[in-house]
Amino acid sequence: MQSSEVISINIWQIIISICNLLILFILLKKFLYKPVQNMLKQRQDIIDKSIESAKQADKEAQSSKKLYEEKLRGADDEAAEIISEAKNKAQRKSDKIVASAKDKADDIVNRAKADAELEVRKAQSQIKHEITEVSTLLSEKILEREINSDDHKKLIDSFIENLGENDD
Amino acid sequence: MNENRYSAKFKAVDALLITLMILPIIFGMMLYVLFTPPAEGIAIEGSRIFFTINMPLQPLPITESQVNSWIVIVSVFFLCLYLTHGLSATHPTKRQHIVEWGIEQTKKLVSDNMGEFFDSFAPFVAAIMVLSAFSSLLTLVGLYPPTSDLNVVGGWALLVFVLITYYKCKCGFLHYVKSFAEPVAFLTPLNLIGEIATPVSMAFRHYGNILSGSVISVLVAAALQTLSSMIFGRLPGFLGEFPFLQIGLPAVLSVYFDIFSGLLQAFIFAMLTMLYIASGFPEEDYKEKLKRQAASH
Repeated sequence: MQSSEVISINIWQIIISICNLLILFILLKKFLYKPVQNMLKQRQDIIDKSIESAKQADKEAQSSKKLYEEKLRGADDEAAEIISEAKNKAQRKSDKIVASAKDKADDIVNRAKADAELEVRKAQSQIKHEITEVSTLLSEKILEREINSDDHKKLIDSFIENLGENDD
Repeated sequence: MNENRYSAKFKAVDALLITLMILPIIFGMMLYVLFTPPAEGIAIEGSRIFFTINMPLQPLPITESQVNSWIVIVSVFFLCLYLTHGLSATHPTKRQHIVEWGIEQTKKLVSDNMGEFFDSFAPFVAAIMVLSAFSSLLTLVGLYPPTSDLNVVGGWALLVFVLITYYKCKCGFLHYVKSFAEPVAFLTPLNLIGEIATPVSMAFRHYGNILSGSVISVLVAAALQTLSSMIFGRLPGFLGEFPFLQIGLPAVLSVYFDIFSGLLQAFIFAMLTMLYIASGFPEEDYKEKLKRQAASH
């Protein structure tokens, strides 16, 4: 089998070599660089999209946070209002109860006072009666004679009345 | 996408692509075994001619360097298909990380050395690197490296020269012609020589490095065989014929010449391509021209 010279120049071989290089260039461009580049672009798109959606989600979270905070503040206000209202109501009720209790107590005290007065008066009249009787008896015994009962009574009454006045 | 990656079909396609990637190399090795006669002594010669086609100007011999170039192209094509098989934007595999890293690196290299205007040159520079590196690495499987054929490397250098000239002419042909008379008019012949020297030096540097590597390897191997038969020739039978001294040193030389030198030359060729094209392109003048065109419209 023949061999070519170590240093030989052949135009056709040079042209074939140029074509080989160009063919490999096209192959690399089409089957290595293009798919990888497409993939990288796809990846970039995915990254961009996820960043965008993360931003969106963040914005939504912020707005809903604000909304909830507002709602929470409103709830606080409402609760305070309810509490104060309840307090007022309770106050009013208690006031009413206390007032009615006072009235009742006053009533009871007044009645007791009236009862006591009545008793006192009863006792007074009884005492008066007894004193009259006792004095009648005493005077009978002292005088040894019976005074006219009516005169006697009159006398004693006036005496006691004077006594009471002097005592007071 | 993700569950698809573990399916039997996906793995079958993977295996098929790997097979198709390796098959051309095996085909090349079979061609080599079938068509190469047993070596007789030291022979330093060019690539073997399989057959010759009659063409105008010069007959076209189809040689090992052509066939091996095609083998590299087909293998690289299936390697690309294998690497981009199952690309996913969300679930990258190991091989995808490698591909992305490689592509990022070539893009960065190109934009660092050539500027933003030449960003689309990344696949071209990658093609030069890949073709040159894999061609040189073919020696590892015992095949003839196409890069040690002057015609192959010369073709690449010529293409680069055409690109250099094309970008120099971007500001008009007159501007290109004028650039030879700079900085002083009488330097024109030197500039012309320098212009032509660019592709020639590129071609000869690459071709010479690879060829000299294989020549040195052959010479060292032959010398070691001679030395071995001188020292151990007296031993009886098989022991006398076995070249003991060929163990070791040729492997070290192969690591240097086949792997290191091949990859280095690929890198150098790609770097020079980038630098020559970028430095020949009058970027400032071209921007001014674009501005003037925009203003006139």
